[in-house]
Amino acid sequence: MMGAVFNLNHPAHVVHWHFFQMSVSNIVVIVLMLAVFALAIALPFPGAPRRRGGA
Amino acid sequence: MAVQALPPEKLLPDSQPTYVASWIYVFGVASIASLVVIVGSGVILSLKGPAWWHATGIGHFINGIHLWAVELFFFVMVVHLWGKYWMAAWRGGRTRVWITGAVTFLVAIPTALTGYVSQQNFDAQWISTQAKDGLNSLGVGAFFNVTNFGQMYSYHVLLLPAAVVGLVIAHVLLVRRHGVVPPFVLDTSRVSPVEQTLAPPDADVRYSGGASS
Repeated sequence: MMGAVFNLNHPAHVVHWHFFQMSVSNIVVIVLMLAVFALAIALPFPGAPRRRGGA
Repeated sequence: MAVQALPPEKLLPDSQPTYVASWIYVFGVASIASLVVIVGSGVILSLKGPAWWHATGIGHFINGIHLWAVELFFFVMVVHLWGKYWMAAWRGGRTRVWITGAVTFLVAIPTALTGYVSQQNFDAQWISTQAKDGLNSLGVGAFFNVTNFGQMYSYHVLLLPAAVVGLVIAHVLLVRRHGVVPPFVLDTSRVSPVEQTLAPPDADVRYSGGASS
């Protein structure tokens, strides 16, 4: 079996703050989702007509 | 009656309103695409069985495809949910579109969780012994037993995916029926609150894709 590029055979690094406990990888995924959401709204879509503002 | 509700030009439209030309609208179809991969890889896993998906190279690979398609499915589905929430996509008589979408999300969660306990390995055994404590404390253990792998495997392979697929079909047909929700009217000084939920003046402009304006 090929060795992984990153060592995955260890317990997750965990962020622990009061009652909040989450693995670093889970936090990274959530941050990524927020970034993708923001980009999806902000990035121009090819061929889309440009709004001149207002309804 | 079905053809009246969904005539061919609504069922298979060849154009879309101009406001749909935005990347946020990609996440619904991305959810469907990842669901297709999940079901396809899941069918292969169920045909070949646990010895195959644990002990062969190609079995490992399909197992991995199934897992990562699920990860992608939840990623894009939640971004789709965020977009639809912030554009208040239940407006204009689209309540059932929102509800079918929300219920699909809620049903997809136990679909994934029953998959975790269906792996046929020690990880699955550990997960089920932890999960039983939480679920049984809620009284849910009276209805199903997460340590009963046969039950969990059946829920995961048949009952819950059938529910998810059925809900997605209903969801998409409702979107076709009602159309994509138009954006909010920005100039509120001239438009009443009721009219703000209706289509803006340029909603009839159809965009067939590829043409620049």
